[in-house]
Amino acid sequence: MIDQFLNRNRSEISVVPRSSIAGRTLALLVAIMTFLSCVTFGAVYMVQNSAVAWSSEVGREITIQLQPVQGDEMTSNVRTAISLALDSPGVGSAKELTIEDSERLLAPWLGDEFDLEGFDLPRLVVVHLSDPRAFDRASLEEKLNQSLPDATIDSHKPWQQKLNAMSGTIVFSGLLALMLIMAATILAVIFATNGAMASNREIVDVLHFIGASDRYIAGAFQSRFFAIGLQGGIVGGAAALVFFILAGIITNYLLPSQNAEQVELLFGQFSLGWLGIIGLIIVVAIIAGLTSITSRITVHRFLAQVAP
Amino acid sequence: MIEFDNVGLHYGTGPEILRNLNFKIDPGSFHFLTGPSGAGKTSLLRLLLLSLRPTSGKLTMFDKDVAGLDKEAMMAMRQHIGIVFQEFRLLEHLTTFENVALPLAVRGEPEASYRSNVQELLDWVGLGHQINARPELLSGGEKQRAAIARAVIAKPELLLADEPTGNVDPELAERLLHLFVELNRMGTTIILATHELHLLDQFRFPRLQLQDGEVSIHD
Repeated sequence: MIDQFLNRNRSEISVVPRSSIAGRTLALLVAIMTFLSCVTFGAVYMVQNSAVAWSSEVGREITIQLQPVQGDEMTSNVRTAISLALDSPGVGSAKELTIEDSERLLAPWLGDEFDLEGFDLPRLVVVHLSDPRAFDRASLEEKLNQSLPDATIDSHKPWQQKLNAMSGTIVFSGLLALMLIMAATILAVIFATNGAMASNREIVDVLHFIGASDRYIAGAFQSRFFAIGLQGGIVGGAAALVFFILAGIITNYLLPSQNAEQVELLFGQFSLGWLGIIGLIIVVAIIAGLTSITSRITVHRFLAQVAP
Repeated sequence: MIEFDNVGLHYGTGPEILRNLNFKIDPGSFHFLTGPSGAGKTSLLRLLLLSLRPTSGKLTMFDKDVAGLDKEAMMAMRQHIGIVFQEFRLLEHLTTFENVALPLAVRGEPEASYRSNVQELLDWVGLGHQINARPELLSGGEKQRAAIARAVIAKPELLLADEPTGNVDPELAERLLHLFVELNRMGTTIILATHELHLLDQFRFPRLQLQDGEVSIHD
């Protein structure tokens, strides 16, 4: 159907057979390569989005840690820390992480019945920054040192840096894999095109004998290969889209909620969104374009080697 | 139209297949090209079809020295030449109509401009009823007539035929030769290679006799 459309404005006679084993093999190959490229791109895109969201969220939060002291002094220290934090520029809110909050956070590892009351644990104040750029950590640290010498500030910076390094490595590896898949696609298309040209050698010879120029012959084969690339690309891209939709359904509805949360922690919401889908369409277009350009070069090389 | 001036041909470092060819082909003439198998008939036709170049001497076609032609000019010159092969060489995935119309399609002519001409020519060679058939459904004689129609549809000035009667029965071979004679009467220059001497006796046309790579002309 696609090649019928492409041929409509060229010539009514399709000099290259529409269906051949070589053509079907090339279409299948392009479909597989497009699927792999789209899945790689989608995974990289989701990890990157998730990492950016994480990093941004973590960057808006600091924790003040207060060493344990006995009695009411602890409550007073917590109030002082909250007050100093709220007086600092760029701070949106500050609240104490209560013993109950800590128990809830540790419940997955220590169980629901575990009681932290008997332990001398440091107390934490979670400070949410409304404007991280306006926040002056050194100034708050100085004020805390004057009032509460044992208090320390943790901005999660090292953890954030590790997260960025990890997501950066994943994105880099994904892009490298994408480039390798593209390179493999080019090589495979060269082999497939050469095979298709060799199997259509009789057609090339007859066209030469009746006076067809290399440009005409190359154009005829090229539009056929572009149609094959586009068909394979659309099939592979559609398969990748179905893969992401199914993966989203599985994580949202079929996996136990804790497992789904872990998958979401890594990939964020298992959904590509419009930008991701546009990205997939661009990947399909790139693969179809690569197939077309590669086959064009291969066809011209083949014709240059063939005696007219 | 065609002039061979001491033309010789050899493949690679092998012996000369053709040597000292000196003859002219005038426009509108009809020549048989004869000789035993291996005498060089096909090589001579390939020289005329520009798929080989002389390794010595000078070949002039349509007032141009073929040695100086680049690939594009060669293809342009080939559009003035029609070729009929012994083994037909029709494209199997195309219908009779499409096979015959191919030389016009590759020139970029729209189908509307040649449809009636192709239909008329197919009727003339007796293939009007097979217009939509693919080659696999045609008999040997029908395939050869389709190949001849393809060779002449673009009104070539020169028609080359390599053993066009080799794969058909004697009765059809004679009818095909009459077809070539008719085309020649309409102005096409024809060089027809054959080793079937009994057919040649029925027509009074000059013969290019190839023997051991050399040619002699018998009127």
